[in-house]
Amino acid sequence: MKRARNLLVAGAGLALALILPMAVDANGYAVRVLTLVLLFAAMAQAWNIVGGLASQMSLGHAAFFGLGAYTSTLLLIHFGLSPWIGMIASALVGGAAAFALSLPTMRLKGHYFALATLAFAEVFRVAANAWSSLTGGPVGLSIPYGEPSFLMMQFQDTRSYYYLALSAFAVVTVVFAAIKFSSLGYRLRAIRENQAAAEVVGVQTTKVKIQAAVISGCLTAALGTIYAQLNFFFDPDSVFAALQISIRVALITIVGGIGTVVGPLVGAVFIIPLEELTNVLFADKAAGLSQLVYGLLLIVIVLIQPRGLAALVGSALARRPKTSGAGT
Amino acid sequence: MTILAVSNLSKSFGGLHALSDVSFTVAQGEIVGLIGPNGAGKSTLFSTLMGLHRPNGGAVELAGRPVAGRKPHVIAAMGMTKTFQNVSLFTESSVLDNVLIGGLLHSGVAEARAEAMACLRRVGLTDIADRAAGSLSFPERARVEVARALCTRPKLLLLDEVMAALNTAEMDDLLGLIRQLRGEGLTLLVVEHHMRAIMSVCDRVLVLNFGKLIADGSPADIARDPDVVRAYLGREYAE
Repeated sequence: MKRARNLLVAGAGLALALILPMAVDANGYAVRVLTLVLLFAAMAQAWNIVGGLASQMSLGHAAFFGLGAYTSTLLLIHFGLSPWIGMIASALVGGAAAFALSLPTMRLKGHYFALATLAFAEVFRVAANAWSSLTGGPVGLSIPYGEPSFLMMQFQDTRSYYYLALSAFAVVTVVFAAIKFSSLGYRLRAIRENQAAAEVVGVQTTKVKIQAAVISGCLTAALGTIYAQLNFFFDPDSVFAALQISIRVALITIVGGIGTVVGPLVGAVFIIPLEELTNVLFADKAAGLSQLVYGLLLIVIVLIQPRGLAALVGSALARRPKTSGAGT
Repeated sequence: MTILAVSNLSKSFGGLHALSDVSFTVAQGEIVGLIGPNGAGKSTLFSTLMGLHRPNGGAVELAGRPVAGRKPHVIAAMGMTKTFQNVSLFTESSVLDNVLIGGLLHSGVAEARAEAMACLRRVGLTDIADRAAGSLSFPERARVEVARALCTRPKLLLLDEVMAALNTAEMDDLLGLIRQLRGEGLTLLVVEHHMRAIMSVCDRVLVLNFGKLIADGSPADIARDPDVVRAYLGREYAE
């Protein structure tokens, strides 16, 4: 019953997502915002594997994202390699970085884990700025212009990038849901709730945490490739950014509903347009006013529903129809 | 047949000797009680046996294979697991999902779920399988802990004060369960403060005091042992 209803809602959402860009200008501002919504929803979903299922508050996911952007773009610039293949290379690099990060941070919890991961991503930002011969330094990298082609992941209109981001979000969400309801998901939840109790009934804490971190790192890096292709240009301060990438994806998931399948999408649908809106409305009024309004709105959300907007929507739905009797 | 052989096991935290040269054996199919005053090292002994603490010295053999110094999940896979003193369920998950974790040690999710249901049946909890573990009463929680442990298919189960916070009738129910599990072939090592419970269910009793094993014998012998009476039971118990 519940499963059927969820599938129905997911199907309706997907149909809406497929039709939506048809209603707006193929290269307009609206479709660009929608594309960013989906891209950040996908990043938040990838973060959700570590932050939600394993409950490890990573503030370093920009490291994987940036590595992904640089890996595929450098392969494209120097070897003319298709970004589709570059994306696989990015995922491998991101996974390797996540593996390397999880070894020393494995036993850290809460704030300590957050600080260690934050520092990890900062190392990459500083290194990418300094190592100009490889990364172009603070000047950044541009995707070489070519004939738009699917093979080179370059498209004429923003709408195509929208569908690319939608596909990416769908893939990451399927991976997240598959993990959540697999043995790995059960083990992650057990570790999150009581590590010692999980260990004595046979959960390999180390292995399970590394698995989650590596999958999350792979996916985030692959999304870095898509971002690079979408944006045509990036520099170390944009892809390795603590605030604009690491903290933002954590924030989106937390505001949307941490650990839930729909949370990252709900959060991104809310936060990305809200950022745009406060920018449009308040940017010319006074310096910092848009960020202030944005910050205040976030505080209000967290106060109203600490478990996230998804829970708010869920309880509203649960209150309305009384047809299915006493649910679980 | 000896299922657990502990020899000269020691564990210290800084300068505190929590366990000093503890040696004992447990035979297949036995119910062995472990008693002692607070701070005697009972829970430390269980945690060290399970690999949650690394021993400073000594050896532990489970069915003839050395386990001292191995990781908890390896020891669980070899057939020994424990419950926790302050019942440590995954409170946000359902009862069934709690028990299922144990089954993942040897099966996939679907099989583990079926086995978890079977374990809940063994402890008499099938009707609350879908409830959140955080909403259960004390006797229910104790049984869920036992079911989760059973789902790993242990040969030897260490029960750490599962009867704390239970009233007499609830305790009798749980004692019935312990006897039933032994009847099904399980060996149990039981830490308990309720002397009546220990004396009625155990074949043999070990007594720890300040990290040392001071007695090992039948419940009747233990109740008469002058050292045990002085250290733990109190004068009135000897009369």
